[in-house]
Amino acid sequence: MGILLQNFDLVIFLVLAVLGYTAGSWAEKKHYRSINQREKELIKLVVVTAEGSFPPERIADAALVSGSVVVSIDYFKRLLAILRNIFGGRIKSYESLVDRARREAILRMKESAKKRGASIIINMRLETATIGRSANKKKSVGSVEAIAYGTAIVMNK
Amino acid sequence: MIMTNVNTVPGKKIVEHFGIVQGSTVRAKHFGRDFMAGLKNLVGGELKGYTELLQDSRQEAMQRMEDQAQQMGANAVVNIRFATSSVAQGAAELFAYGTAVRVE
Amino acid sequence: MKFTPIQLEGNVNVSKSHPLIELLWLLGGLVLLTGLVFFILGVTADWAVSKTPIKIENWIGQLALNEFPAEDNPALEQRLQALLDSLPEDSALHQYDFQIFLSDTEDVNAIALPGGNIVVFSGLLELMESENELSMVLAHELGHFAHRDHLRRLGRGLGVAVAATLLFGEESAASNLISKTLLTFQEKYSQDQESAADQFGLALLTRSYGHAGGATDFFSRLEEDAGSKLPYILASHPHPQDRIDALNEQIKKKHYSIAKIQPLSLEL
Repeated sequence: MGILLQNFDLVIFLVLAVLGYTAGSWAEKKHYRSINQREKELIKLVVVTAEGSFPPERIADAALVSGSVVVSIDYFKRLLAILRNIFGGRIKSYESLVDRARREAILRMKESAKKRGASIIINMRLETATIGRSANKKKSVGSVEAIAYGTAIVMNK
Repeated sequence: MIMTNVNTVPGKKIVEHFGIVQGSTVRAKHFGRDFMAGLKNLVGGELKGYTELLQDSRQEAMQRMEDQAQQMGANAVVNIRFATSSVAQGAAELFAYGTAVRVE
Repeated sequence: MKFTPIQLEGNVNVSKSHPLIELLWLLGGLVLLTGLVFFILGVTADWAVSKTPIKIENWIGQLALNEFPAEDNPALEQRLQALLDSLPEDSALHQYDFQIFLSDTEDVNAIALPGGNIVVFSGLLELMESENELSMVLAHELGHFAHRDHLRRLGRGLGVAVAATLLFGEESAASNLISKTLLTFQEKYSQDQESAADQFGLALLTRSYGHAGGATDFFSRLEEDAGSKLPYILASHPHPQDRIDALNEQIKKKHYSIAKIQPLSLEL
């Protein structure tokens, strides 16, 4: 017991890392499954980054739609990122984070467009930002915000 | 794979489109680059290390986007946009996205 | 224009390596890197220390001494002088102007400060039962001076802090991680220094008294409270049992004799 108390901060660190790894990878798998399933459902809704041109009599309604999400990383991923910072190269643990965030944002935008009855979203743009780092630089964990927005067009029947 | 950042491929006709494709990469700098950058802070000038780093990241992001487009069976990507953001201390995320199309 | 929705299998944007394997690689690299840095810093610091003249050390010593409230103690000075008189002619310790102080604190410890200053805590004196024990502790501290350990530790610690800050910037998480790893290496190095000081102390004790009696008594008393060896892997001193074993081995090797030990007189 004494040795645990002596190296208390090391023990805390290990516990957090293991917790981050297990809980984090479970949450990630769950999220990806949800994303894949919803993408299959919404695949008929067209999203393009181009501006289309449509004959005006066919358009019933056009409006801005957007979807956004903030995803946080777990302790284990942050540890990997710090180690990577020393050696350089691709931070593989963060790739899945931003990928999930963006796909989720696009899906939410599509859902919002579907509610209006739109069949196409044009001129889609994606922005990413990081939140939660400015307050306390040392202890922060880090999170990514992704926002997708575009113009949803409802066609005349 | 043809890539443009306008709505069409100039001189060709778009016959089919497949939706959004995106490629992203997250890269960290290593301490060697940081050290050189710190020294450059004293004399000024281009930070070649960082420029190279971002160029490599952009190449990789575009390559991933191209791979996705190829998987879909497209032969061009139009209306490409880039975005950079910093997601971790000392690391930058670069991503490219566009619409995958088939032109003739 | 025709629209063909395609659901993609697989994900080009996520690399396929397993995070645990990556962690293993990165940690291995970190340990290797810090080992290398520590080694280079150590060699450089040792070289710098061996070139530092004793005058500068005395100046640093004065600054350090002001941190410890302590007073002169003639009885301790007497014992220290007895040890110093039995030093060999060519010993570098003759260049030091040794001063010994007693600090009224409960800690069971004695410290060697740069510049030839030794501070003994009263908690240590209360545990002492014989003259020879006290002389062993003083001789151990003289050993630290002979090897210039305190300067080495200062030099290394400084070198580590400067290198980490230079490479990673202040307050960054990476520099914290590297400093913690380097600290672990530092503790092992400190244990080697302690063992070397033990050996020097033993040799000096035998020269002074003519025999090695009482050398291990103090450590035996420490050992009773010490417990298991596990916490000592990362501690700055070796486990008392290891110190006793090393001393006994040396006594046997050099055929030192053990004779009657003198009890501690009442002035202390």
